[in-house]
Amino acid sequence: MAGVQPSGGIEEPLDLVRLALNELVRVRLRGQRELRGRLHAFDQHLNMILGDVEETTVSVEVDEETFEEIITTERRKFPMLFVRGDTVVLISPGITT
Amino acid sequence: MLFFSVFKTLVGKEVVVELKNDLTIRGRLHSVDQYLNVKIEDITVLDADTHPHLLSVKNCFIRGSVVRYIHLAPKDVDVELLEDATRRQLKEMKRAQMSASS
Amino acid sequence: MSDVGGGGDGGSKTQRSPSEFLKGVLGRPVVVRLHNGTEFRGVLACMDGYMNVALEQTEEYVLGELKNKYGDAFIRGNNVLYICPQQA
Repeated sequence: MAGVQPSGGIEEPLDLVRLALNELVRVRLRGQRELRGRLHAFDQHLNMILGDVEETTVSVEVDEETFEEIITTERRKFPMLFVRGDTVVLISPGITT
Repeated sequence: MLFFSVFKTLVGKEVVVELKNDLTIRGRLHSVDQYLNVKIEDITVLDADTHPHLLSVKNCFIRGSVVRYIHLAPKDVDVELLEDATRRQLKEMKRAQMSASS
Repeated sequence: MSDVGGGGDGGSKTQRSPSEFLKGVLGRPVVVRLHNGTEFRGVLACMDGYMNVALEQTEEYVLGELKNKYGDAFIRGNNVLYICPQQA
């Protein structure tokens, strides 16, 4: 039972993230933030280091007079970024737009 | 422990720490502990107009749990080393799990 | 750590442990609902003791509206409210 498993297989969720090392990933964070970048490191808390990152933040404001919802999208770029794992919601390997 | 080791190699380097409350602090990494609490020296607060009370602060201690991002300089980071270290650490975790469950 | 709870040999409808339930839905289409109200629908590939989840062919629904599709998705367990089988 305690043998070594083939490194390709997925038998626990973190394996999915391991297979994404040095690949492009989409990371959804709390607070309507999304990152796209190359995954260079992570641990069991989902702390991560990403390279060539683009962050997209979506915020909704309500116009006080017309009560219209104004949706604004802000984009920022970072060459190298450490992300603390506790804000991570979802990680998806590969970029498909 | 992986990121504790990573940040130990970054001591003395310039970093930008972005907090969950959107406060962003640039400075030199003085030290780090296992919780990824950090001490930053010679700080400047980005967007200082909205945080004038921090203008006179030179050094600070930041609790790890309030950090959102730490921006790094690519030249300070060896990505191949990071990827190998990540794989190694995962293997160790699995080994520890298996010996605990058997 | 990778198993939640434990249980007898199951089978009876009245007594089924959480871990038996989870074994039963592996490889099946499921709904994963998060604390923030978001729902992910996909095939449950695997999960662990933290309720981290790996889904395949994932669709993200917010307020019943399809917002995103992901080939594979890792969902961090602390966000999970519940997992249930998708009704056919």
